[in-house]
Amino acid sequence: MLRFIARRFLEAIPVLFIIATATFFMMRLAPGGPFDSEKQVSPEVRARMEAHYGLDKPLFQQYVLQMKHLLQGNLGPSFKYPGRTVNEIIADAFPVSLELGLEALVVALAFGLAAGMVAALNQNSAWDHIPMGLAMIGLCVPTFVLGPLLISAFALHLDWFNAAGWFFPGDRVLPALTLGAYYAAYIARLCRGGFLEILNQDYIRTAHAKGAGGARILFKHALRGGVLPVVSFLGPAVAGLLTGSFVVETIFGIPGLGRYFVTAAFNRDYFMVMGSVLFYACFVVVFNLVADVALVWLNPKLRFE
Amino acid sequence: MTFLTACVVVLLAGGCGKRETLTAIGDRTQELRLNNEGEPSSLDPAVATGTIEHAIMCSLYEGLVTPDAKDLSLHPGAAEKWEISPDGKVYTFHLRKNGRWSNGQPVTARDFVASYHRMLLPSMASQYSYMLYPVKNAEAFNLGKISDFSQVGLKALDDYTLEVTLHSPAPYLLSMMIHDSWFPVPVAVIEKHGAIDDRNNPWTRPVSFVGNGPFMLKEWRINSHILVEKSPTYWDAQHVRLNKIYFDPTESADTAERMFRSGQLHSDPQAPPSKVAYYRKYKPNLIHVYPLLGTYFYKINVTRPPLNDKRVREALAMAIDRHAIAETITRAGEEPAYCLTPPNTAGYTCRGKITEDVAAARRLLTEAGYPDGKNFPTVEVLFNTLQSHKAIAEAFQAMWKKNLNINIVLHNEEWKVYLDSMRRTNYDIGRFGWNGDYVDPSTFLDLFATDSGNNETGWSNAEYDRLVRVASNTGDRAARYDAYQKAEAILLDEMPIIPVYFYTRPRLIRPSVRGWYPNVIDQYDFKSIYLVPQDN
Amino acid sequence: MIDTTPMAMALPAEPAGGSSFWRDSWHRLWQNKLAIFGLIALSVLAALCFASFLWPNITGCSYEQQNLALGPAPPDHVHWLGTDPLGRDLLARLLYGGGISLTVGLCATAVSLTIGVIYGAIAGFAGGKLDMIMMRTVDILYALPFAIFVILLMVFFGQNFILLFVAIGAVEWLTMARIVRGQVMAIKRQEFVEAAHALGLREWRIIFRHIVPNLLGPIIVYATLTVPEVILLESFLSFLGLGVQPPHSSWGVLIKEGAEVMEEYPWLLLYPGAVMALTLFSLNFLGDGLRDALDVRGSKD
Repeated sequence: MLRFIARRFLEAIPVLFIIATATFFMMRLAPGGPFDSEKQVSPEVRARMEAHYGLDKPLFQQYVLQMKHLLQGNLGPSFKYPGRTVNEIIADAFPVSLELGLEALVVALAFGLAAGMVAALNQNSAWDHIPMGLAMIGLCVPTFVLGPLLISAFALHLDWFNAAGWFFPGDRVLPALTLGAYYAAYIARLCRGGFLEILNQDYIRTAHAKGAGGARILFKHALRGGVLPVVSFLGPAVAGLLTGSFVVETIFGIPGLGRYFVTAAFNRDYFMVMGSVLFYACFVVVFNLVADVALVWLNPKLRFE
Repeated sequence: MTFLTACVVVLLAGGCGKRETLTAIGDRTQELRLNNEGEPSSLDPAVATGTIEHAIMCSLYEGLVTPDAKDLSLHPGAAEKWEISPDGKVYTFHLRKNGRWSNGQPVTARDFVASYHRMLLPSMASQYSYMLYPVKNAEAFNLGKISDFSQVGLKALDDYTLEVTLHSPAPYLLSMMIHDSWFPVPVAVIEKHGAIDDRNNPWTRPVSFVGNGPFMLKEWRINSHILVEKSPTYWDAQHVRLNKIYFDPTESADTAERMFRSGQLHSDPQAPPSKVAYYRKYKPNLIHVYPLLGTYFYKINVTRPPLNDKRVREALAMAIDRHAIAETITRAGEEPAYCLTPPNTAGYTCRGKITEDVAAARRLLTEAGYPDGKNFPTVEVLFNTLQSHKAIAEAFQAMWKKNLNINIVLHNEEWKVYLDSMRRTNYDIGRFGWNGDYVDPSTFLDLFATDSGNNETGWSNAEYDRLVRVASNTGDRAARYDAYQKAEAILLDEMPIIPVYFYTRPRLIRPSVRGWYPNVIDQYDFKSIYLVPQDN
Repeated sequence: MIDTTPMAMALPAEPAGGSSFWRDSWHRLWQNKLAIFGLIALSVLAALCFASFLWPNITGCSYEQQNLALGPAPPDHVHWLGTDPLGRDLLARLLYGGGISLTVGLCATAVSLTIGVIYGAIAGFAGGKLDMIMMRTVDILYALPFAIFVILLMVFFGQNFILLFVAIGAVEWLTMARIVRGQVMAIKRQEFVEAAHALGLREWRIIFRHIVPNLLGPIIVYATLTVPEVILLESFLSFLGLGVQPPHSSWGVLIKEGAEVMEEYPWLLLYPGAVMALTLFSLNFLGDGLRDALDVRGSKD
């Protein structure tokens, strides 16, 4: 297994390199630059600002310079926030997204796995349809609808929470629920499907025939196999959760990293985009690896290849 | 299980007893909590770009003059008195002897000169350096045409006397000086932290920030909050009643409104359009709607047929119902705009007017060769993606179809792509908005001079250019305004733009906030604002 | 002697015929009432939407006729679902936009599903270096900034409606490929696959005739999860300028705009949301029914 993990880390290097290269050229090709604004700056000012950031050099030279900086871990300055470096901004915003992501993940796993298991064990009965119905509602109601609904009910009418912000412990509840609901629904659906696959297999029937009860069957035999599709989905999903959600952070006024992914691209803040993309890519690589390792652990028939 | 228990505990704890809202706490402790519509790009006047930064910098710096919040009349700020020479070209400012930076150092005339020098340095690449251009040779120095700053009309005659020499009289100079480009910066402090012209110089961090205003920078967490505290070194600290100001950078109008409702904010300047009607009807004591110095209009690319025919442009401008737009779509008390400059801009009100006349519009279209809209090519309206822009464009689309029988296609673009398209004049009709930088008609009418970077319409008129130039070179108000009236008449005759409405500000504000007054540039006077705890 | 008892006469002349996998599945599906309900609901909705596309004034109100004086009004006898801020009839816009949303939702999902399944099956089955390259490519595509990708698409190819499918397809197949690969890797170790190998069946045949049917469960579940995502993704794309342009609309855009005014004009969110929920529930029931029907281990006894 260690060799497998080591090999995956080695593979990550060309992956990150390609991502960085693709992102660099994509950003430079897109129309509109960091210094376009409604009140246009004069051509002289624009030329000076571009020179200051090295944007007037030939494109390939800029590319090489950027790669060099990246290797040194220097993500560059932000155009949108002069005086702040990308490293700094990420270091400041990431812990917030991380906390929110973990809380949402707990919500998603707790509700999702429970609902999926209950539904699978009671296939086609009311205890199947109700949790799945709730899951479908969780999938249809997008975060930009669920968030304001929760705020309207619990913060504005019941006055249990603040409407936005990230200062008090109570501020965590509504965003975690909003962010987690969608993933809970997804996990519930996938989980139910996975469990049903397992539960209909012969070795489960054998266990039944031998007299094993429902819960025992579930946990001892089915759990490992049933969680399989959830694990494959969770890999990149967790990467996304932990690096932040633009919509939830905007609705709840949370100073997390998720917003920067979107706003940096819209501001053409080149270095910020590169930094956040690579940061996210590292998470994707790591969590895909974790998911693949988990897959093998859960299903002993698989081998590390 | 423990997680669920924790959730329940938090819910119960949250629900027990009526919470004291953050604004109620602020009322007691004199901490004003404001939404500021966005995160500032910088708190350095030479780097900052807009109104978001301006609001915060008004608390941290003090310019030579400060505006009265009620009527924008000018009071002494860092300068306690000033004289203007008879020819209107030389201003002599006498600074207060007790003016202090927040690090205790005195504020001197040399500080001002050094600040302006920095602002005009070509390497600084400051976007608002043009605000200093009325000063003699300032533009030449800023463009690198001269390199000797002593030729620029900014001199410190002694520690407390500043002499500003203009190249021609500019009666609006003092009202320009309330803009942050005229604020002083602590050059000595800046140099300690890096190069004087490096926009990434970290001197604006709370640990190193120094300003001469009524408040000091205490905390600055990007996209979270900015907190400023009353400055004990400020010369007039005894008259400053607030202890702290908390600036919230929430950009989303919906989120900000919810925060206002839940008692987290004293004021929210960006009430969402759909809620304005609700507040005006059911909670009128919480909302103020007042005019802003800005115009919403459509730019027309006059180089593209059929828009190169001025009769077509006039027909388009006359065949729409601006009142309906203001009343049913934007619904924030906007005035329809029949010309470019907002009414009563420093006493200037445009005399020319577009008349909405569908019959006349159809006649013009027929004259231009498109009777009843026949054979009229498809014209595209470009706007950046925002619900209100879309609704207005859709309304126009329907109006032009109904009144002129022509087909307009709508096209939305993401912000930067839209800006790029506008800059390259790569559009047919493009939505645009302009807020005045200072209170004077020149800030609007200069837009459509041939060499203006913000023209973007391809329209050029020599007489218009001449009139605008004449107006900017004379100090006589009557003569200036006369020239502007003529210029605006040309603009309305040639119609490279379709004015739609004048901006208003629908501001939500709690009754506990006192000493605040609305004005057309939405200027805060933090010295006069204070809070009175309410019983509810 | 021939046994002439009634029982004997009732026996069928030939032995019980075997029925194929597909025939069994169809039979099982037909018996699943919820699934049939879903199918019917979907068909009716689709028919209404496409009818309104072909005959725009079918409800009596046009989807683009504005009535600024009226503005946003709650449902009444003229406008059954109310009007939007420009006074346009919501029902007409909902049905007209439904055609676009259903087309985009179903087609784009089908496209990304096909790509994802093929890609994931090949990667999972092949293993080794090919699997590594394929999966690392998925990682790369995952991390690239989507908004910029869409903007570039529009720069190079204009604002073609087909681009909408390209943009959506480009992002949705990734997760499917991962899930399918995981499943295939598990399935290929099972005994029946080894048996097929032993029998000398060619790889393609093994993949598509033996492995893929076992994947149908997760694939169907994932497909029903992807459709709502696609419909909402379309509203993000219209934010970027791709997709439907005004005065046309789509459910994603209607829901997004309705969410902005949900407190003042709740019907603008409620009805589009309800219609989308109905569609998704129907898809869900149908999908579950399909999953149950196609389950190879579904008992015959």
